[in-house]
Amino acid sequence: MSEKPEFVEHTVATIAQWHGVTPPNAVALRMVEDLQKTIADFSALRGKLRFEDEPSSFSAALLAAAAVEVTP
Amino acid sequence: MSALADLSLVDAVDAMQAGTASSVEVLTACLAEVDAHESAVNATTWIDREAAFAAAKAADALRASGAALGKLHGLPLAHKDMYYQAGRLSSCGSMIRGDFHPDITATVVDRMSAAGAYAFAGLNMAEFAQNGTGHNRHFGQCNNPWRLPYLTGGSSSGSGAAVAARFTYAALGSDTGGSIRLPAAANGVSGIKPTQTRVSRYGVMPLSFSADNVGPLARTARDCARILSVIAGHDPLDPTSASVAVPDYEAGLDGDLRGLKVGVPVNYFFDDADDAVRAAIDASLAVLAARGATIMPITLPVMDEILTYGSVMSRCEGAAIHAQWMRERAQDYAIHINSRLFASLAVPAAYYVEAQSRRGPVLQAFAAEVFSQVHVLATPTIKVCLPTLAETDVDAGAPDAVSKSTAVVANTRPFNYLGLPVLSIPCGFDPNGLPISLQLAAKPFAEAILFKTGDAYQRDTPWHARRPTFQP
Repeated sequence: MSEKPEFVEHTVATIAQWHGVTPPNAVALRMVEDLQKTIADFSALRGKLRFEDEPSSFSAALLAAAAVEVTP
Repeated sequence: MSALADLSLVDAVDAMQAGTASSVEVLTACLAEVDAHESAVNATTWIDREAAFAAAKAADALRASGAALGKLHGLPLAHKDMYYQAGRLSSCGSMIRGDFHPDITATVVDRMSAAGAYAFAGLNMAEFAQNGTGHNRHFGQCNNPWRLPYLTGGSSSGSGAAVAARFTYAALGSDTGGSIRLPAAANGVSGIKPTQTRVSRYGVMPLSFSADNVGPLARTARDCARILSVIAGHDPLDPTSASVAVPDYEAGLDGDLRGLKVGVPVNYFFDDADDAVRAAIDASLAVLAARGATIMPITLPVMDEILTYGSVMSRCEGAAIHAQWMRERAQDYAIHINSRLFASLAVPAAYYVEAQSRRGPVLQAFAAEVFSQVHVLATPTIKVCLPTLAETDVDAGAPDAVSKSTAVVANTRPFNYLGLPVLSIPCGFDPNGLPISLQLAAKPFAEAILFKTGDAYQRDTPWHARRPTFQP
């Protein structure tokens, strides 16, 4: 396996430390590298989360969205 | 090919209730299709013929007795091999659960049994329902009945292929990122992902408790409506299932689309779409317009949020529930599964909580903007012409396999984050002879308008009735 970029090396070490799982193959390392896009995508949305938001709002949101009607 | 096996689910039930066909005859017809084509398609993981014929004979005896009959009476069905049936194998498409025999039965299977159906086979699927292409190294690839080297879509690969190949009239699939709609589209059949919480998940293999959905694949929108009317509704065994009343989905199937507003997204869903797909969707919109619908362009809001948050939610949940097997036997997963599970362990908890916490507000923002303008959204289910199994085989190191697989699932995933109901129906064929499908989405719990739209479309088009040709 070739030398790993710093991001991959650091992330692999973190996974090992926190979860006790090691990379099963080289494709896993590529998948880790791809997480940089996830970071970039989340970075672009910073500030959207409101202080009072919480996961339990989703069931209520389904019902609220069901009540939306097409305006004539 | 048997005329009985070629019937739609509703027509088969009608034939049995009228006494023009027996359950034994219908089962025999389905098994004849299995015997003729299973070696080419590889859609099943197990078949229990002895129990099936016993159930068929019992169904015929009940009808002869004059007893009241259920909506699915006498119907032989096969399901994705992740619906628990007490004492029967439920492999989940995996080596890890290759000898798993649960001691409970899924609520949806119980409800279909109560309506008169019986299950005779388990169906091939992506390992632990974790890919959109249908690859499976443990049970072998499921091949597309239209052209065998092409992918079936996943994760409910066997469900799509078996319905298309006339092995069964319908099959349960599950949909966390498109796993009902993708195989429905790739195999030229109909399939619905219901509203999140519409159908009980009790006794169903979990992938992502926030995004997992149970639903049917069948030949027609009406067939799907019949199945959903049986399986939907609150289940005390699944406290997340909604208490919203279940309507009579078939009652509104009258072909009349006057007053219906159909929105066609101008952003995202047609980006990089193949010309053949665009042409088929344009033609299908003309059919809806001829039935009275108004077609209008619409710009969809909050797509960046939907795509970003939706990308981590099910990954984190899947990584958590597979973590122990990843520690103990990671090599028992296929490469494309264990590699993704591994990387998903690195997504921070704060990202996951943000994705979950924004889900409700994002849905409300989307619904307020979109469903105040249109009743239904129309997009391609898969916006590219189907690739082959070889072209999308990550484990074999095929070049661009990841990007080609990602293109296949691009149009289904957004609706899982939103929790919306979505119907996929066939609407044509690409230059390679593979199906193209139309995806219709509506506001939560509005499955009835999807069935009405899909049924109206299928009254005027032949695609859902075409038989696959098993081309090598």
